[in-house]
Order: sequence, then C-alpha cells, then structure tokens
Amino acid sequence: MREELMKILEELRPDVEFEKEKKLIDDGILDSFDIVTLVGDLNDTFDIDINVEDLQPENFNCVDNMLVLIEKLQDEE
Amino acid sequence: MAFVSMKFLFFLLVVCGGYFIMPAKLKWVWLLICSYTFYLLNDARAVAFIIFTTVITYITGRILGKINRNQKTYLKENKTVLSREEKKCFKAKNITKKKWTLFTAILANLGLLVFLKYFNFFAGNINAVLSNLSLQMEVPILNLMLPLGISFYTLQALGYLIDVYRDKYEPDRNLAKFALFLSFFPQIVQGPIARYNQLAHQLYEAHKFEYKRVAFGAQLILWGFMKKLIIADRLAPFVDEIFNNYVNYQGITLFLGALAYGFQVYTDFSGGMDIARGAAQILGIDVAVNFERPYFARSISEFWRRWHITLGSWMKDYVFYPLALSKGFNKLGKRARNIFGNYIGKILPTFLSMFIVFLLVGVWHGSSWKYVAYGIWNGVFISGSILLEPVYEKIIAKLKINTKCFSWGFFQAIRTIFLCSIGRFFSRGVSCMAALRMIKHTFTVFNPWVLTDYSFYELGINERNMIVLVAMGLVLLVVGIMQERGIHIREKIAEQNLYFRWLVYLGALAVLLIFGVYGNGLASTVFIYQQF
Repeated sequence: MREELMKILEELRPDVEFEKEKKLIDDGILDSFDIVTLVGDLNDTFDIDINVEDLQPENFNCVDNMLVLIEKLQDEE
Repeated sequence: MAFVSMKFLFFLLVVCGGYFIMPAKLKWVWLLICSYTFYLLNDARAVAFIIFTTVITYITGRILGKINRNQKTYLKENKTVLSREEKKCFKAKNITKKKWTLFTAILANLGLLVFLKYFNFFAGNINAVLSNLSLQMEVPILNLMLPLGISFYTLQALGYLIDVYRDKYEPDRNLAKFALFLSFFPQIVQGPIARYNQLAHQLYEAHKFEYKRVAFGAQLILWGFMKKLIIADRLAPFVDEIFNNYVNYQGITLFLGALAYGFQVYTDFSGGMDIARGAAQILGIDVAVNFERPYFARSISEFWRRWHITLGSWMKDYVFYPLALSKGFNKLGKRARNIFGNYIGKILPTFLSMFIVFLLVGVWHGSSWKYVAYGIWNGVFISGSILLEPVYEKIIAKLKINTKCFSWGFFQAIRTIFLCSIGRFFSRGVSCMAALRMIKHTFTVFNPWVLTDYSFYELGINERNMIVLVAMGLVLLVVGIMQERGIHIREKIAEQNLYFRWLVYLGALAVLLIFGVYGNGLASTVFIYQQF
C-alpha cells in the first residue's frame, strides 16, 4: 500500500520529498488543487470514499497519517 | 459609532477597564453586554436579525450535536451485535436526518441574507426583462435594510453549523456564550470571519491584564488608524473623482484611479482589521489574521491567499472542497475524461469549483452585475494562470530566465498589481458597463504626459497630499519587507530603550494627528467593507 501511495504522491508533486515532510498541509506544501487531485487518485486506487469530513490537516500532513486514513476507510467499507 | 472615532476609543477604554476589574466568572458576560451595546449603538434596528441568526444557529447546533452523540453511543453499545451493513444503514439514516436539519438552518440564515442583500437586485432585473417584453407587471422594489455585519456573522454561523454537522467539535451548550461568539464587537463590523474552535474558548476564558499585550494591542490600533486616516481617506477624493466622473478621464488617469482604489481599499480594510485585532489583543484575545501583505504576491492566486484570508479559507472549506469532492462533480469529471481525455477530466471538477467560489466571492461583495463580472474576472485569471503554467515554464526555460533573482520576483509582483488593478474597475466602478468603458478607455488612449504635467493636483490630491502619501507608502513598504522577512516589528521596538520606544510611539501619534484626514469631531469615513 505504501508503495502505491508513494507512487501517487510522487506523480502529483515530483518536487516534494514526501518521506521527509511531516507538515504537508500546515506548511502549505500541498495546496487545495493538490488535495482534490490526491483525494480523487486515492479513492480510485484504494477503492475508498474520502469525504469532506476527512479533510483534516492531520490526515494529510504526512505519508503515515495518509496510510492510517486509507486503512480506516477501507475497514469501514 | 464608527471604529475610527473618539467615541470608539472611549468605548474601548470603558470595555477594557470594566473587563480587567470584572470577576473572572463574569468577564465573558461583560464582553457580551459590551458587544450588544456596540451593536445597538451602531444599528439598533437590526439587532433582531443577529438575535434571529444566533438562536436558529444555536438550536440547530444542539440538534446536530445530539444526533452525533446518539449515533456514537448507539454504535458503541451495539458494536458486537450489529453487522457491517446494519451499521452502514444506521449511519445513512442519521446522515439524512442531519442533512435536513442543516439544510433548514442554512436556508433560514442564508435566505435572510440573500433576501435582504439581493432581493432588489433580482426584482430590478426581472422588471427590466418584463419591461422589455412589454408586460404590464412589476416586482415591487422593497425598502430593505442591510444589518451591520450580516455578511460576516452569517458566514461565521454557517461555518459553525457545518463543523458541528461534520462532528468536528461539540456544539455550544450556552446560548448567551454563543451569542458572544457571533457578536464579539471588534469583528462585527467587517470581520475577520472567525472559526468557532479558534475563537470561542478565548472569549469564554478570563484574561488578566498584561502590560505587554495591552501595549502591543494599542500599537496595532494606532497602526490601523494611520493606514485608514493617512492613506485610505487621503486617496478617497481622488478615487471618487475618477470613478464618479469616469467619462471625463482616459488612459493612464483611469488606470491610476483603479490603482489608487486598490491601495485605498487595502489600507482601509487592513487598517480596520488592525484596529479589530488590536482591540481584541488588549483583552487577551487573538483574532484571525486577514491580510498578509497581498501587494507582495507574485500571482493573482497568491494575492487571494493573502487578501481577506478568512473569507478565502471559509470558501475553501465550506464551498470549494464540498463541491470539488462531491459525487456530482466526480461524475462530471469521469464523463469529461471519456470525452476530452484524462487531463481535462481530472482538472474540470477543480476548476469548476474554483470558478464558482470566485463568482460567490464577487457576489458576496454586493448585489450588482459588476460584482458578478469581478468574480468572473478573478476566476478567469486564476484558471488561466494555472492552466497555462506548463506553457510559462517552457517559455521561461527557453528564454533562460533566472526565476530565483530579485528582478523576476519584482516583475511578478508588478504584474500582479497591474492585473489586480484592472479587476478593481469592476469592484469600484459605478456599474458593470462603466467598468467596461473605463477598461476600454484605459487601453485605447495613450497619455503618459499626465504623469508629469501636475494635472493630478486638480483631482483631489494636492502636492502636500502627494508627499504624505509617498512617505507613508514608503513606511508601509519598509514595514511589509520587514514582516516578509519574519521580523516582528513590535517585538523589535519593545527591545529598544525607553526613550527610543516612546519617541517612536509619540512620533507615530503626532504623525497621525498632523497628517490624518479628519471630518467633523475627528470622525472618519465609514469602512468600505462595512457596506458589504
């Protein structure tokens, strides 16, 4: 799952070192356009349904938190 | 009672004095009394509207909170009994219930705002259509009032409701406390549009007197007064002359009118925000930052991230994301993907959502076609700049332009100021047609000599005013550069020795008293955003 997520992120923003960044949202590294594209890709790839309610900065600030969110939503499906 | 008046300063003194001597438990009650007093002194007739919004929002918040709590308790208690499908079904039922509850409250709050703000606009347009069709019917034009701050506190209330709907936090249990959240006097006139989880707890907590905070707050108020009285009100006669008599002017004169209006509205609005933030800071309350030096922005989209930040962030969280991630837009994207290919399919929902946001931001400013045009103008430019970004990058690479140097950043900032100034024709023009005419006459007449023949001195700004504006503009620029570099100016001044510190404070006060533009009884004109 991690590899797939990393592939999506690197395609989205090749200029960002995602493994190192811990404040992707708080520091404004990912903007709202990136977020919408990312959510679309995550929904398609992992067969989940990320809602507006899930768009909390803590869910997208780093790769680990994104994985936690994906796993949580997959469990709920 | 205008923000920029001796009356307000006296009011603030009473509020702060009372707040600090009040027992801790009653401090929030004092703030509520003062906030409603401020509202009554400003717009007594409209107090019923803010009470209506407060009560509706409070009750709906409690209902939504109850549904959220019941859901959590039920699912917890029946965790082992319910199947996955049953849980899903229960959640879906609750969501429907919540949606209807939220929808009713939004309809009541937003319906009131839309009715008061836009009814006559719709009626006027319908009447124009009926008249063109030679029909003997007419929608009556009503004598409607626009309550003070309704465009701001309605959005604040809706944000709170949507957050409770999303179970971001528990609803407020105390109606009086919640009434304070919606009516807090420093931000009732023109925002910032606060978030409940950032502001409410600060209002309810008791803050003690702290010299540094009081001094910093007072300095921020002084700075706000300087922006408003020395720059904004000094530019006003020139801007009014150009825009109200636009048929008499052309070429660069018109452009300078739009440019001046940009700086007028910036110093007016951000000055008002400084006064609001300063007043709150004295009381120990940090309200949201609404401006981050927008005229240093390198693109229009960055400009909007620095300008009226709380409105932009409200639109992003409560309009942009819900639209862009909605099932309807998702389907639209998939259809577009099949017809126009992957790239368009992917970006279409995002662009459409963004376009709607800018249209709403435009229309939020007022009920006129010029604001629709203003929204479209900004939407088109931002969409265009994002869509064409790969093309720009190719051109930059081909021409081997160094984008890391000062000159490139300077060029980008000037370009942004130029494009924003053109947009100002719509927001300040007397009508949409007037704005279009002004744009046409700006670009079809070449008259650079007006910059050197002193003809400006007959348009509301004499030589003395020009010198004051240039000097104050430079002060603003230096302060802006320091802030961009992360220098905390008030902290820096506080580090200096007593004599120098007081020299700065008294110097600023003297500059304000000598160079401020005052009407009768030291009163100023109303804030531009107060009317939105």
